[in-house]
Formats: sequence, C-alpha cells, structure tokens
Amino acid sequence: MIGVLRKIFKYLIMEPSEAAESLTVHTRYKHFRRTLFIVMTAISMIPLIVTSVLSYYQYLSLMQKEAQNHLRWNAESANKTISSFVEELQAVIVFVSEQHSGDFFRDQQSLSSLFTQLKRKYPGVVDLGFINPEGVQETYAGPYNLRGKKYGDREWFLEATGRGVTISNVFLGYRKVPHFVIAISKKLQNTEDYWVLRVSIDAKTLDQFIGHIESEASDDIFLIDEAGVLQTTSRFYGAIIDKYPLTVHPDKSGSVIITVDKGESISTLKATSHIVGTPWYLILVKRGYTYGKNWIAFQIQLLIIGCFGASFALLVIIRTANILGERIRESDQKREAILSEVEHTSKLASIGRLAAGVAHEINNPLAIISEKTGLMRDILDLSADFPNKNKYYEQIDGTMDAVNRCKVITHRLLGFARRMDVNLESIRINEVVREVLSFLDKEALYRGIKFNLNLRDNLPNIKSDRGQLQQILLNIINNAIDVVDKGGAVSVSTSMRDAQTMQVDIKDDGPGIPPDIMKHIFEPFFTTKTDGEKKGTGLGLSITYGLVKKLGGEISVASIKDMGTTFTVLLPIELKAELERAE
Amino acid sequence: MKKIRVLLVDDEQAFITTLAERLEIRGFEASAASCAEDAYVVVRSKKSPDVVVLDLKMPGVDGIDAMVAIKQFDPAIEVIILTGHGSTSDGIGGMKYGAFDYIMKPVDISELIVKIKQAYDKRYRQGKNRRLENDR
Repeated sequence: MIGVLRKIFKYLIMEPSEAAESLTVHTRYKHFRRTLFIVMTAISMIPLIVTSVLSYYQYLSLMQKEAQNHLRWNAESANKTISSFVEELQAVIVFVSEQHSGDFFRDQQSLSSLFTQLKRKYPGVVDLGFINPEGVQETYAGPYNLRGKKYGDREWFLEATGRGVTISNVFLGYRKVPHFVIAISKKLQNTEDYWVLRVSIDAKTLDQFIGHIESEASDDIFLIDEAGVLQTTSRFYGAIIDKYPLTVHPDKSGSVIITVDKGESISTLKATSHIVGTPWYLILVKRGYTYGKNWIAFQIQLLIIGCFGASFALLVIIRTANILGERIRESDQKREAILSEVEHTSKLASIGRLAAGVAHEINNPLAIISEKTGLMRDILDLSADFPNKNKYYEQIDGTMDAVNRCKVITHRLLGFARRMDVNLESIRINEVVREVLSFLDKEALYRGIKFNLNLRDNLPNIKSDRGQLQQILLNIINNAIDVVDKGGAVSVSTSMRDAQTMQVDIKDDGPGIPPDIMKHIFEPFFTTKTDGEKKGTGLGLSITYGLVKKLGGEISVASIKDMGTTFTVLLPIELKAELERAE
Repeated sequence: MKKIRVLLVDDEQAFITTLAERLEIRGFEASAASCAEDAYVVVRSKKSPDVVVLDLKMPGVDGIDAMVAIKQFDPAIEVIILTGHGSTSDGIGGMKYGAFDYIMKPVDISELIVKIKQAYDKRYRQGKNRRLENDR
C-alpha cells in the first residue's frame, strides 16, 4: 500500500521528460491508470471491508449473548421447575414418614395400603420398601419381588442414614429397570440404629417431566449425574443410563454455567446447572445458535449491501481512473503540441531575424557593388570606343544581373521577416481563389491536373491584403501542383472556422510529406526540389508562412503518406491595422 | 537651368561617393556626408541642398533625428529616406516625420532620379506659393 502510494507520488513529482524516459508514452498512462485504480480501490474498499467485518462480529457477539442469556434464563426456570417437582415428591414422602412409626411400615399390610394411596396420587411411584438397620428390606410393596434384598452397602442407604433424606441417581438395581430412589431414615426408639423408608420412582416419570419442559431456546434438555450417566433421555447423546460422552464441570452452587463448544461439527451452546438437593445436573443444549432467522437475514443484508457498495465503488473508480488518465493524457498531449508549436514559431522567428540581419548586412555592400558597377557603365557610356568595350559592357551587365538576383533574395528574406506593407481592403476570398487558379489553369491543363473547388457561398468579406493573399495561395497551390502526378487533383475549399476566422484548405493527392521533412518545411532555404529544372530557392513556404503571420493568420499542414497533404490557412475576418503597425 | 543640389548622407563612404559621382554625370550637383554632423555643416553652408538623400541607420545621430534637425533648420529642404532594411515600414515611419519619399537599397539610379526630381518640384512649387503669399 505504502509502496503504491510512493509510486504515485513519484509519478506526480516526476518531470514529464523523466517519466517519458522510464516508460513509453502508452504504458505510462496505462500504468498510471492502473496505479490510480489500485490506490482508489484500496482507499474505498478497506473501510468498507473493515466496517463489514466489524459489524459482522459485533452482530455475531450480540446474537451469541442474546442466545446465551435466553438459554441461561431457560435453564434457570427449568432448574426451578425440576427442583420444585423433586421437592414436592420428597415433601410427600417426608410427610408420610413423619406420620407413621417404624412399626407401621414394618407391617406389610399397612405398607401396601400406603403404597396404593401413594400410587394413586403419584403414578410414577413404582414401589415402597422398609429397610431395617441391618440394610435388609423387611417389608416391600410393589410389582417386584424384592423382600429380603440387602441394601446395606448402597450409597443412597448410607447417605440416608447419615443425612436423614436422600435422592439417588437413576440406576437399574435388582429389577434392572431404570429408577431412582428417595430414601428417608428415622431413628429407632431408644437405639442408635436407623430404619430407612425407600420410595422408588420410575425414571420415565423424570423423563416425561423433563420432556414437558419445552423450550424454543434449547434443542435438547436432559439430566446427568456426577459420574456423567444420563438420567433422562437426550436427543443428541443417548438414552437413560447411557454415558454422556462429554465432560461436565460440576458446580454445586446451582448457578448456570454457559459453555460454548466448538469441538463439534456445529458450534454448540450448553447451559449446565446443578439441581440442589439431588445428584443431578440439568443440561440445556442449543445447537447452531448462530442460525437464527435474524442472523441469516443480517448476513444476506450485509452481503447485498457489501456487494452493491463494492461494485458501485468499483464502477465509479474505473470511470474516474479512466477519465483522469484520459484527461492527463490529453493535457499532456496538448502541452506537448503547444510546446512544439512554440518551439517551431520561435525557431522560425529567430531564423527570420537572422535572415533579416543577414539581408540587411548584405544590402549595404550590395548597394556599393551596384553603384560602382553603375558608375563603371556611366564611365563606359562617356568614353570613346576602345577595343573590348562591348566585353566590358557584358561584364558589367553580368555583375548587375547578379546584383539584382541578390537584391531579389535579400528582399524576399526581408519579406519573410515580415517587412512588407499591408494594404487592407475588403476581399471576397472565393474571388481570390479563382483569380489564383486562373494563373495556374494553363499549367494544370498541360499536366492533366484537375482542380476541385469546394467554395462555400455566402462567406463574409474579409479585410486583408489582396496581393499577399494571392501570393500565399499561389505559393501553396503551386507546390501542390508540383507534387501531384499527372491526372492528380488539387482541391481548394473555403469555409468558416468560427465567427471570426475564415479557413482555406488546399489538399493534394500527392505522395505526402514525411514527418522528418514536415518539421522543416517552413524554414527558409529548406527545399526538396533539387533537380535542375525545378530547383527551388527554399523560400516559397517560408515567405508564405511570414505572409500568413503578417495577415494575422495561421498556417498548418497535415499529411498522410501516399494519401496527400492538406495545407490549412486560417485568416481573421478583420485584420487589425494597429497590430500590423506594432510590428 | 539651375542644377538640383543633392546631399547624400550615409556612413557607407564608398556608396555615397560613387552615387554622387553618378548623379554628377546625370547633371546634378551632388555632395556626400558620412554622418549627420557633416550633413548639418553642408546644410548650413551657402550651398545648402535642395534635396537630402538620408540613410536611416547611421552610427551616432540616426537618420530620423538628422532629418528632424535639417527640417528645423530649413523646412523647405526635401528629404528622401534611404533604407537598407528593405523595410517599407521604416520608410513609411520616416514619411510621418516629414520625409518626401523613401527608396530601398540597392538603389536603382533611374528610380532615385525620378524621386529627386519630384522632391525638387515640390520644393520649387511650395517656394513659389510661399513667395506668392508673401507678395499678397
């Protein structure tokens, strides 16, 4: 991330030339666009992702807490319900034992009638037994034949004799049917020995009771004892007497302990609480507590919002990166074009100044040569005939011709340096074009070149210099005629560039101008016409350039290889005379 | 007929002496000065010229200043501007300050003579008018 930022910063402070050195123009913008895309994506996506993740976990923990609280509350209420059920049973038995003496229970008949009464009220009661201090069941009322059975070594027996009352865990016993025992001990009169009244209750009673505590908060509810043996049927972990496969953390205080079990395939929430006064632990199990309706809805919402936000951001980023890249490329191009234009203009201007300076310096000695030669001719005129007089005349004429040629060149050079008069008049551009073409008709006819005119009607008159305008068009069209082959065509069109500018396009279907030559075509003495007959001075286009500038216009050239060249001359509708004077 | 007196002023000595000689041949009374100061001397002398042919670019006092000074001394003297710059705007600029006409280097002698004669005619006419006005 920091690396990418540094890269972007480097790109921003890098000089364009430097940047151009390190990358080619095309890859430079591609690279820029890509970097911009990455940075913007990172900037917008990171907060989105962070927010989403945070809210995901926030909501998750909220849901967990809610589920835990719900489960805890359920566990507490279930615990109370079971406690009161067990207490009620216990209270009944304690009451019965308080009402009668040991002799009453020792009597089989009275025990049986008591059992019948109990059974009527509590169908879960399976049997009733009286156990003497030796641990032998003296009397028994119930469906099994358990009289005379020894219970002296049983835990519940020992506990009952020690504590007065006890509730056993669920076990099979002699009858091999799961049940639990509520045992109450009483001291025999005048002895240290205890007899014990034992009531067996079918484990199914407990099972059914637990089954009735239905709860939405939990998926499974069951009891286990301290050794981990199931006391009631569990939906997930087995039937009564089965071993509960997981470890329990015994806590006798009765408070609810919540554990999150992630070891199983689905994360499971468990509430464990000890039922006070019993060997039992109540366990409520909630499986997959995260799969609540709210949770799924939240996940879907989060996903939709996240996806929508991300794709929207991506769309905006791609668009922005493209637009920015394109803008920068365009502005770079524009700047490069302006720079090269400025360079070109200033180059031509300095060449113009140089040419003017040279022309001026040459003009003075040229004037002397001209006058001296003139004087020689004057003297010859005044002299009497002498041998070779005509030869002298010839030499003088030759010198004068050379002087005149130089004069033409220096005047042209000075003309290029924009030192000519402008006579402003109102001109119809189409008229000027036709005039110029009429000069060239003969040559065009001779060479089989066709002129295509596309002159727009209703063009406003322009205020400019007719002679110079003619010269400009003549130079350009002449060049066009020179480059097209026999049967070629030269098109001239006039139009309005904007409200203030007239446009004249001169297009030929010649071979086009190679880029390396294109750079120099407006420079003085630059010529490609080197063959004897058509040898050029290299001043035509530079003078044209000077003239166009002088008339406040612009000249540009576009060329495609083998497709031809188009010169475009832009002229202001009204040339400001003051502007001309200032120059 | 009175010869037209012409003063040629240019720092190119070879040019003006030769030109002066050629004008002499053609019936002018030509003198040459290579700087503005020399020209002033000639103008103030008894043989004050009718027409001055004045180069614009000279070391020291330049052509325009020299012309202004000459015109101040005698407004009747006509000045033809000589410019090596091939620049008509310089010539036109000179005409604003009262030059009769301008001519570009290298000079075509016949063109120069025509201009000198036109200038002299103007001077002659104006002198006549002035005299007529004085008589009135």
